[in-house]
Amino acid sequence: MDEKQKQKYLEAQPMWKIVASQFAEHRMAVVGLIVILFFLSISAFAPIISAITGLDPDEQNVFNRYQPAFSTVATSSINRELAVERMLANGKDYTALIDAAIAQNVLEYPTTREDVLYDMATAVAPEVLLDELASFPQVEGLNDFIAVVGGFQKFHLLGTDELGRDVLIRLVYGTRVSITVGLMVAFAAAFIGLIIGSLAGYYGGYLDATLMRLTDALISLPILVVLIVVSAIDLGNIIGGTPLSFIVGSDYESIFKMVFILCLFSWMQVARLVRGSILSIKEQEFIMAAKTLGARDSMIILTHVVPNVIAPLLVAVTLGIGNSILFEAALSFLGLGIQPPTPSWGNMLFNAQEMVQHAPMLAILPGLLILATVISFNFVGDGLQDAIDPKSIRR
Amino acid sequence: MTSFIIRRLIQTGIVITLLSFFCYLLMTLMPGDPVDLMISANPNITSEDIERLRALYGLDQPVLVRYWNWVSTILSGDLGYSRTYRVPVQELMGPRLINTFILSAAALLVSILIALPLGILAALKKGTRLDYSINMFAFTGISIPSFWLAIVLIIVFAIWIPLFPASGTRTVGVDLSFGELLFDRIRYLVLPVLSLSLMSIGTFVRFTRSAMIEAMANDYIRTARAKGLSWPRIIVIHGFRNALIPLITILALSFSGLFSGAIITETVFSYQGVGSLVYESIISNDFNVAMVAFMISVSMVLIFNLLADILYGVADPRISYS
Amino acid sequence: MRKIITSIFVFGLIVLTTVPTKSYSNLPTNEELQVGLSQEFENFNPMIMSMLATTWMYNMVGRTLMVLNEDAEWEPQLAKKIPSLENGLAERFTEDGVEKIRAVWEIVDNAKWGDGTDLTCRDFKFAREVALAPTVAITERETYEQVEEIIIDENNPRRCTFKYKEAKWNFNQIPKFYALPEHLERPIFEKYKEQPEGYEQHSLYTTSPTNPGLYNGPYVVTEMTLGSHTIFERNPYFFGGPAKINRIITKVISNTGTLEANLRSGTIDMISVLGMSFDQALAFNQRVQGRNLPYNVNFQPSLVYEHLDLNLDNPFLQDVRVRKALVYAIDRPGLTNALFGGKQPPAYHNLAPLDPWFTNDPKKIVVYPYRRREAARLLDDARWKLRNDGFRYNENGERLELTIMTTAGNQVRELVQVYLQDQWRSIGIRVRIQNEPPRVFFGQTTNRRRFTGVAMYAWVSSPESNPRSSLSCDRIPTEENGWSGQNYPGWCNERVTELLEKLDLEFDEQKRLNIIHEVLYHYTNEVPVIPLYYRSDISVTPINLRGYQLPGHQFSATNHVERWYLEDPKKMENR
Repeated sequence: MDEKQKQKYLEAQPMWKIVASQFAEHRMAVVGLIVILFFLSISAFAPIISAITGLDPDEQNVFNRYQPAFSTVATSSINRELAVERMLANGKDYTALIDAAIAQNVLEYPTTREDVLYDMATAVAPEVLLDELASFPQVEGLNDFIAVVGGFQKFHLLGTDELGRDVLIRLVYGTRVSITVGLMVAFAAAFIGLIIGSLAGYYGGYLDATLMRLTDALISLPILVVLIVVSAIDLGNIIGGTPLSFIVGSDYESIFKMVFILCLFSWMQVARLVRGSILSIKEQEFIMAAKTLGARDSMIILTHVVPNVIAPLLVAVTLGIGNSILFEAALSFLGLGIQPPTPSWGNMLFNAQEMVQHAPMLAILPGLLILATVISFNFVGDGLQDAIDPKSIRR
Repeated sequence: MTSFIIRRLIQTGIVITLLSFFCYLLMTLMPGDPVDLMISANPNITSEDIERLRALYGLDQPVLVRYWNWVSTILSGDLGYSRTYRVPVQELMGPRLINTFILSAAALLVSILIALPLGILAALKKGTRLDYSINMFAFTGISIPSFWLAIVLIIVFAIWIPLFPASGTRTVGVDLSFGELLFDRIRYLVLPVLSLSLMSIGTFVRFTRSAMIEAMANDYIRTARAKGLSWPRIIVIHGFRNALIPLITILALSFSGLFSGAIITETVFSYQGVGSLVYESIISNDFNVAMVAFMISVSMVLIFNLLADILYGVADPRISYS
Repeated sequence: MRKIITSIFVFGLIVLTTVPTKSYSNLPTNEELQVGLSQEFENFNPMIMSMLATTWMYNMVGRTLMVLNEDAEWEPQLAKKIPSLENGLAERFTEDGVEKIRAVWEIVDNAKWGDGTDLTCRDFKFAREVALAPTVAITERETYEQVEEIIIDENNPRRCTFKYKEAKWNFNQIPKFYALPEHLERPIFEKYKEQPEGYEQHSLYTTSPTNPGLYNGPYVVTEMTLGSHTIFERNPYFFGGPAKINRIITKVISNTGTLEANLRSGTIDMISVLGMSFDQALAFNQRVQGRNLPYNVNFQPSLVYEHLDLNLDNPFLQDVRVRKALVYAIDRPGLTNALFGGKQPPAYHNLAPLDPWFTNDPKKIVVYPYRRREAARLLDDARWKLRNDGFRYNENGERLELTIMTTAGNQVRELVQVYLQDQWRSIGIRVRIQNEPPRVFFGQTTNRRRFTGVAMYAWVSSPESNPRSSLSCDRIPTEENGWSGQNYPGWCNERVTELLEKLDLEFDEQKRLNIIHEVLYHYTNEVPVIPLYYRSDISVTPINLRGYQLPGHQFSATNHVERWYLEDPKKMENR
């Protein structure tokens, strides 16, 4: 160790620097953090991914359900019609193309002239139609039509689900809901649990009794009953007329209820753990010392108590993430979570549940992503414990 | 100490009373009483039928009256009848509560016996390959939804390698001697216990590991080593004992669920537990059953929390409740 | 270490490959048949049983006067003959200015309860007395109430005259008029009849369900554990001769995802109609055929009518062109082919093909094939103009937007819902999905008409039943009428109401048919409800089960359980 390094060690470092360098030493924690950041960016860029790949998470193809990975299938007739409709609406003149088409085809329901293009697009498989079009006279607009027909083939890297939707892009979009739910619950649990637990543990007495009996009550509340009641509540009666009233009747209504439920039921275990540890810590000498020195309670709790309960707190919070991702999906069984067709890892997993023997991959893929998330968060938690917990900091 | 316990028991009584009313109220707030649900299933019900049934079930009375009726029957020592099955509640729930207890207790025991040593081992070997393997095992247990784990176990151990029955509580339709019956019950218990404990093993391992790491970082461990105490003694007396507080909290929480039933595991394995009964009783407004289940679960939570508080004092004598 | 792993792996492979794909040795025999049900049952008191699983099982132990058979025809069971005006066993007469009917029912000679006591008209009379007692929570009292009096023949206690208080054409369709064993239940009823629900709680069906005297069917209950299983054994006193299978065990396996695993591991031999979900059955059927497994997966289109109720108070939906556009835009054959493998037929209206009143004649009703562009044109006509965002707007700038609701957690419905959302999206309608748990959905949303747009659910009705409760003007639920009635769309057509009033009293078959066809015309023409498909009943049976047929209506296959038998597996193997 040369002089310079020695100097560096002896220098007083700001807290965050110590934390950051300690954290960086925990290799798996860094990997975990990268994975989480990766998921976060995936969810931020989901629409861009969708635009680049040309895949739409809601685009159905019901005659190609449960396709295996790496399959190429033709899009559904309704989407072909819509593609033709978009082409016809682009303002160009397709009279010549329609004339040419009518010359070769008979209209099924002779209604309007454009219908011939729709009928052609939906009648046969795209590759057959492309062959047919190759022998067409070179009229204006033919190339547009060929381009449209060319788009009728879709490649599904991870196969398709129960409605023939692309699994990959649904997993990408599912990241949004699942990661958000995971993070949100983690923060809510840590925040509420820490406050309730430390107040109860530090002050004891009536405050402790009240807060802890409240926690007990929430733990033992029949959650199913609460969920049904919440799903039946007409939000309009509660928040109508307030600034929040825009939520009523919008797509956000059930999400709003979901957030409420998730936060309400997330923190009890953390509160209990924090309180239990504080009971022991507050009797230790350094707290006595701080008290004697005249430190304020808030100061003691924040700087002396909380860092010492960080270990169980982090474990509880990071372990809860996997559960909350699954809980979100369970909520939608009661109409409380996000509504179909919005994908989330949880609801993809649950929807695959009945078909476990038929299409196991539909469940395994979101399951693996949930596993990866749980692992990452837990390693980040371990890293933070090493970094923040005063006892683990190597001096 | 005695006055502390008495105080807490009084608190417990108050909480139970308040919560029972709150839950009764919540149940009446659920839209769709049993009669509504009958209508939705049967277009032939007339409005006279509806009125008659509502009156018969007492659904036309105000909540307070109904709650009071319920409380007075409970206080007279009668749990009442299940509305769905028309049998006395204790007759309906008793055997199932025992089944649930057997299942949960076995699972809890198995997971504690496996998880504590694993967690301690991981903490002592922190950062090694062994630590990572144990952690990975824990994460997998936590992340697999219980339904999946259960069904995979059934497919593997009941269909591919037919060692255990796919579902049920015992073999039906045969007469067994006591010894055979015991063996039979155990055979039916293996898969549900396995699937339940795999999940809690993960949780317990993680908590044990983290608490142990923290405890082993204390100065007194170094002192103890310097004094030349034997390593196992240090781990158990100085390390593990100081890691106990979070473990007590978590275990108390787990134990308070002993009678609540693991609904998913129980239904997947068609195990005759209390979980699905309670679920159904809530869905079908079977007040007497649902409320009893609820009272049991509140009492368990409160009692085990009290027990945890007492054990905190044992684990760390500095903690006192005066 | 590596050696151990390798040997375990090899052992596993051997185990896996030696499991035979088609094994006749595991097939059940006439000794015992184990049936899986996915629903709970309560108890077998026919006055109070309301769960589907109980009804399914009850028919193994109890019979009524008549039943609808697999060909949807009425067939006498306990009765010797079904009385009718034509066969002279029934007659119309007038009493105090009201037209009434008298019908003679005669019970088969060897009808006995499981303890050997004769089953007579007294048991029916007693059942009626129990049903009408104000303390008994029977759900459908109408069945018993329509009979004003039962007069027992003094010389023959098995012969009695039912006096009906109204002259309805279907007076003789009383399949839910059960008998109760008076010799066992009378003392209990007398003791507890003043106490609300007292009889039900103390009835022998509840306190001692294994008493054979309670049952008159081909089997009696010998063991019953609520929520778990029931064991049925042959009833030596059954009037129709001994059943062929010695013992039937029914097991509750409430998680449908594990039914298949249970079947293949031998915990059960057969899955009843209350079992697999449609998707599971389709997938299992593929596996059965692909791997040659020894099961039959039976599909039978049923009377369950899946449909969309349109709330006609919604200003957008008041325009019949919008409603017609909604129907034209749904590719129903595509839906049933893609999602149901063509095994659940598309619906035309509220009557199922099994119903004798059914018609799909385009001269009588309005038929809507899939015409997406026709739908678009109808919307153009109704002044809903397509804008660049792909949605339609009216002159006030309002977007054509609908909320579709259904029961959360019902996977098939949620699939169909998303499919519909996609189809309507393609004609420029924005569809919002909002689902609720069944309790909330049926408890306040449909029956108080709180859905604003479209509600998806199913009705089930028996063949030839009057749809008045869901179609008449006076059956629209309102605050004033205490939310009674099931006309949830709020459809009011005076002519339909008038026709349905007449229907019950019309004794001429052809005229009844004309009435119902006119109703169907209005129903399909004005589209208050969009028909989707008729659900299919599903069951899985071992390949050697004979004499079994899935009926497709609410009278279960167990009504003919005495005909079931299991062919000897060894003989089958030799074929």
